[in-house]
Amino acid sequence: MVSERVIRNLKSEFRTSALAKLGLVLVVGVVLVAVFAPFVAPHNPTAQNLGESQLPPLGFTETKETTTSEMEDGEVVTRTVQERVEADAAHPLGTDGLGRDMLSRVVYGARTSLAVGVLGTLFAALVGVPVGLIAGYYRGKLDDGLMRFADVSLAFPSLVLAIALIGLWGRVAVPVPDPFVVAGLVSDMPERFTLPGTVIIVVGLVNWVWFARIARGEALSLRDQEYVKASRALGASHGRVIRRHVLPNAITPIIVLGTVQVAAIILLESSLSFLGFSGTTLSWGFDIAQGRDYISSGQWWIATVPGLAIMLSVIGVNLLGDWLRDALDPGIEGEGGV
Amino acid sequence: MSDSSAPTEASAGDHATRRRGAPDGHADDVLRVRDLSTRFFTEEGQVNAVESVDFSVRDGEVFGIVGESGSGKSVTALSLIDLIDSPGRITGGEVWYRDADLADEFRGDRPDAVDGEFVDTRRLPEGVRRSLRGPAFSTVFQDPMSSLNPSVTVGEQIAEAVEVQRRARANPRRTRSRTQGYGLGRLLVDAAVPNRSFTSESSHARAVELLEQVGIPDPADRAEEYPHQFSGGMLQRAMIAQALAGEPDVLVADEPTTALDVTIQAQILNLLRDLQEEQDTSVVLITHDLGVIARMCNRVGVMYAGRIVERGTLSDVFDDPVHPYTRGLLGSIPDLDDPAPRLNPIEGNVPSLLDEEMGDRCYFADRCPKAMTDCLQPIPEYGVDPGTEGHAARCVLAEREYADGDALPADHFARNAGVRDDD
Amino acid sequence: MSLGRFAIKRTLQGIGVVWGVITVVFALRFVTPGSPINAVAPLDADQETRRAIAAELGLDQPLYVQYGQYLFDLIQGDMGFSYVRGQAVTPLVASKIPATVELAVAATVVAIVLSIPLGVISATRRNQPVDYGATLFSLFGISTPNFWLGIMMILILAVEFGVFKTSGRSVDVGDVVLSTVGPEPFLDTLLGWLSYITLPAIALGTYFTALITRLTRSGMLDELGKPYVRATRAKGLPETLVRYKHALRNTLTPVVTVLGLQLGTLIGGAVITEAVFSWPGLGTLVIRSINLRDWPLLQGSLIVIGVSFVLVNILVDMVYAYLDPRVAYE
Repeated sequence: MVSERVIRNLKSEFRTSALAKLGLVLVVGVVLVAVFAPFVAPHNPTAQNLGESQLPPLGFTETKETTTSEMEDGEVVTRTVQERVEADAAHPLGTDGLGRDMLSRVVYGARTSLAVGVLGTLFAALVGVPVGLIAGYYRGKLDDGLMRFADVSLAFPSLVLAIALIGLWGRVAVPVPDPFVVAGLVSDMPERFTLPGTVIIVVGLVNWVWFARIARGEALSLRDQEYVKASRALGASHGRVIRRHVLPNAITPIIVLGTVQVAAIILLESSLSFLGFSGTTLSWGFDIAQGRDYISSGQWWIATVPGLAIMLSVIGVNLLGDWLRDALDPGIEGEGGV
Repeated sequence: MSDSSAPTEASAGDHATRRRGAPDGHADDVLRVRDLSTRFFTEEGQVNAVESVDFSVRDGEVFGIVGESGSGKSVTALSLIDLIDSPGRITGGEVWYRDADLADEFRGDRPDAVDGEFVDTRRLPEGVRRSLRGPAFSTVFQDPMSSLNPSVTVGEQIAEAVEVQRRARANPRRTRSRTQGYGLGRLLVDAAVPNRSFTSESSHARAVELLEQVGIPDPADRAEEYPHQFSGGMLQRAMIAQALAGEPDVLVADEPTTALDVTIQAQILNLLRDLQEEQDTSVVLITHDLGVIARMCNRVGVMYAGRIVERGTLSDVFDDPVHPYTRGLLGSIPDLDDPAPRLNPIEGNVPSLLDEEMGDRCYFADRCPKAMTDCLQPIPEYGVDPGTEGHAARCVLAEREYADGDALPADHFARNAGVRDDD
Repeated sequence: MSLGRFAIKRTLQGIGVVWGVITVVFALRFVTPGSPINAVAPLDADQETRRAIAAELGLDQPLYVQYGQYLFDLIQGDMGFSYVRGQAVTPLVASKIPATVELAVAATVVAIVLSIPLGVISATRRNQPVDYGATLFSLFGISTPNFWLGIMMILILAVEFGVFKTSGRSVDVGDVVLSTVGPEPFLDTLLGWLSYITLPAIALGTYFTALITRLTRSGMLDELGKPYVRATRAKGLPETLVRYKHALRNTLTPVVTVLGLQLGTLIGGAVITEAVFSWPGLGTLVIRSINLRDWPLLQGSLIVIGVSFVLVNILVDMVYAYLDPRVAYE
């Protein structure tokens, strides 16, 4: 399964590759931020404060326009007031249109992205790997059926299929109590974290085919290996052969694909929440959609900051994936897109 | 000789003047390789794949280089034609090639690269060196299936080799530029315009002729096929046809039969032999198979750990081997006449060619049944057997007899395992 | 097998997949909670009205009859009737196809034109500044969400410098073609078209540029290390031919495969790019039909997207067979 050779390859590749180190730093950073979000975030990410809205990030000054309309002498009078807004050290990345702290929103957004990325990938793997292994191992009608189904399901772009399914099924959000807040370790933070349930199920459902394809390919090449035949001849059951021989050998490409998939699903999730097909408002894609309305009036950071967060985390995961691929060399390249 | 670095007909075995002359220089030499070293600079360290190799090849002869895998014989072949890829590099030595025209051309500009009719290709500009591929040196590689492009027809690939030389003859100067007058612009135009391509009708016709010459039936039809439609033997014939396209002076055949079935091997060797006699080409034949050497070669060099440890005419080397390694190799051929055939492989492993692990001694000493204390000294220069035609060996036994008293203890290397020899 | 027979075989397979696509789309309405009647019937409709609507839509028929009817209508090009728009679906969907095709083709052209030379240069000048630059670019390219990239380009190029249009498609490629013969000034039309298409095409194309650059680079490095490249050099061929005629051609085979697999990403990317740039294409139609719960319109759009995926994949396979003659012979 994970042999010493694998570990040695991983280490030597890691030593020689600066990019692999950067990837690990980024991923570990994002994971820590996401897990300990209540401690990292300086403010409650959902707390609105209209008095402090549209504050620029540190080091920038912006002109804020406020338009007020009043009835005066039976006529509507519109006044536009321009004021210079200085950055506030309490909000290092500025605030959004409703005065919510951008840094805190980015920190909490990491939770959503990672939760969907990891759980969606796990779900896809849990469905895809067994189906692929069984199809590749037994061949026959089952295999034909799977491959035809895979062909059909690839004909729908993940994003299109995902928004269609979410549109049909509705957006189910699962509130999960935040253990740190429940335990009383932090206050003033959201008590519940909203897990976008439909999104996780749907991204899993639209991406399981990639896992099935990889697992099937591995099973196909392994089923004719002498040692697999030998253990069958010795009376091992099919189930045992798949568990003991086929799965362990297929695990390396599955892990590499899994990494690629986490990156792809983070991007997919951000696209879905950008289009409004998510169950939570604490998401990078959602914030970019919000910030989009402000770019023509000068509040560039509201859309920019969450996008940078997506980019850095996906770069991290991709670098990690490159490291695994180069070290483990499972022979897959560029499969498993959004 | 006016130039001290030029190859001379130095008297064989004269150590003092050896560096000034080509080893066993002979009037018929077409190629004199001297002191050639090729190293690979890998992450694990520096690999001395070819170390101070000396040999020469005469007009119309087959010169064999034999050795175990990992002895550096293929790297020697690639070094001759200047096809060492990174992380490898030819780090030293001279490859003197006889070409009167080329010598005249460079006598003025590069006097150090010219001597008589010989030019040292190592000292020529890269473009000129490249232009020698085809008309001067040409190669038959080990595995024809991986040495031909799978997605281009066999005929087209041979026609390319013909076309290169056709264009070179038409415009020799241009051949030496980096793109050889065929840049990206030309390629794009040729790709875009129907009926235009690098190769011409006449080179395709010549390719078919060449295929016929190497004994491929229905050559016109086969030329339109792709490598995967050929059998291994047929493909090696096609490869030979491609190598002959430039009418080379020296054909380097790197393990030409290793990837083939035994029955096909003989056919390919016969073909090579016939073509070589017909066209009077010189052949450098690289192989690990002593049977092939015995059948094909006039003279032979035995390689071990990146060095040619013994060389001479076939009969001198085979009948009267000096180096214990050569004896060991010859001993490892099963004798068919022996009622109880035994294989006598040489005990031990091929040595590491990593620079730091090599030490400065005879690399064969740890496997040598006749290792003596002298063998822990740096390896001697070629000791030439007088009265022979340049039969020489780099072994202390070339100069003196084996003496039991000087023998290394049997466990010398076992005891010093892990300790570097030069410590 | 000849290339022609290979094409026929692939087309037959493609028809099978198209049938699967249609079946999945038909089945979608049965995995939807609630009866499709709800989308049409008024909220206070009584049983009688509902039954009448069901009969009118054929929903009271057995499933296989509905399915057969659906297939039969589709073959005649009838994709149903949009309740919300009060229009037939087919012409509505058809009118959106050109915009999406234009966007996807423009993005693909941008990607291929930039990425293949970049990948080749990167591979042949390995570990030189241009290689590091290309590697870094492709890392950013595959890691940046295209909708955000689009917004950033709007922010910088359109809002700050006012160079490009940020929404709509008032001038299309058809206008440019017409202007070469018609009264419209050609150059103005061309520039007008470019001002609309450039930003969406770059936003959509960047991911593919980056992906193909990576694939071309690693593929070229693989190929340049293979024995046949050495053999090709050994026969004295110009380096131009060694690289582009021999190594690049073989590099393109896996590139084309991955492109075929990633086609879905291109179409999915087009949907979101259309949303960012208000591009009046299929993507905009899909999102609107979901938001309005206009199932026939959604089904029609999905079928068009699925079928175009299958068609382009057949095309990709033909290119693949052309590049690698071994494929068609298998």
